[in-house]
Amino acid sequence: MARVTMVKKVLADGRPCRKCAEVEARLRGEGLWSRIHRVVVADERDPEGEGWRLARRHGIATAPFFLVEDGDGTVRVYTAYLRLLREVLRPAAAVSALDLLEAHPELDFV
Amino acid sequence: MDGKLVERARRELAGAEPQEILRWALERFQRIALSFSGAEDVVLVDMAVRIRPDVAVFSLDTGRLHPETYRFLERVREHYGIALEVLFPDAAEVEALVRERGLYSFYREGHKACCAVRKVAPLRRRLAGLDAWVTGQRRDQSPTRAAVPVVELDAAFSQPDRPLVKVNPLAEWSSAQVWAYIRAHDVPYNALHARGYVSIGCEPCTRPVLPHQHEREGRWWWEDAREKECGLHAGNLAANG
Ligand code: SF4
Repeated sequence: MARVTMVKKVLADGRPCRKCAEVEARLRGEGLWSRIHRVVVADERDPEGEGWRLARRHGIATAPFFLVEDGDGTVRVYTAYLRLLREVLRPAAAVSALDLLEAHPELDFV
Repeated sequence: MDGKLVERARRELAGAEPQEILRWALERFQRIALSFSGAEDVVLVDMAVRIRPDVAVFSLDTGRLHPETYRFLERVREHYGIALEVLFPDAAEVEALVRERGLYSFYREGHKACCAVRKVAPLRRRLAGLDAWVTGQRRDQSPTRAAVPVVELDAAFSQPDRPLVKVNPLAEWSSAQVWAYIRAHDVPYNALHARGYVSIGCEPCTRPVLPHQHEREGRWWWEDAREKECGLHAGNLAANG
């Protein structure tokens, strides 16, 4: 099974970023938290820390993001929770309307 | 219809009038419906019934529309003699939303949870049986719609085994053209337009905009765009440090 690493951001005042907290709450709420093997923090107080290094290495500009390592060592990067859900965590399950809206902000026209 | 055919249709329909685009869509797809928001997209209803009098038209009743919009929906139903379908959200989902978050959660927590229950879920249910749908999106409505094509594969609602085509016949029209059509054809319109509303959505989430403001500025105006994304740019560090 693929190993999933979540990289989340912690603000200078020690609080997690709002989006990261939201995504974590949803993973927990949907019983998927156990599928996250490792959590790495990009702490604003430690710009040389592992989270920031991973963001730079993979060219990622938003938090949270996920690294999915397959058995053969290849690493896929996910910045969209919905895609992670669809492709890795719960490929067969229906996507919620909220996930759909999160992934498609252009639906605001509705 | 796949991506290549959509591309071809887009080329064929480049510069076409909305009526031609609608005719193309209504002739090409049997399972097609027009989404009517109760605003000036009424011009699409007017154009569509001239092409196919029994065209399927639906509106989303979120339960939070203005009284003027409900009256307008009824007027459109009578005026055009169409069986306007009014789609409701799932009652149990709305009850849970209100029980857990209250009636005005969107002001505190953002609009998405409420919109997901009241709009996106019923819309998805309706679209599941279609091959194509028609919307009133226009490029001049907001900077985020500046690239809306006249025909596209619906990125949100297509299924891997079932593509859904989205047709936006008004994409290239301006607001002025829409209003010229309304006047020229004596099309009924929502009374809220006369009170400064350009975009018309749910009552708690829509307000009139000033001249030259984008329509989108009349929706969810309390939400701070900066909060919507959490950056990992080095600039964040400088700004916060
Ligand atoms: S526009 Fe406002 S009231 Fe309407 S569904 Fe969205 S959040 Fe709810």
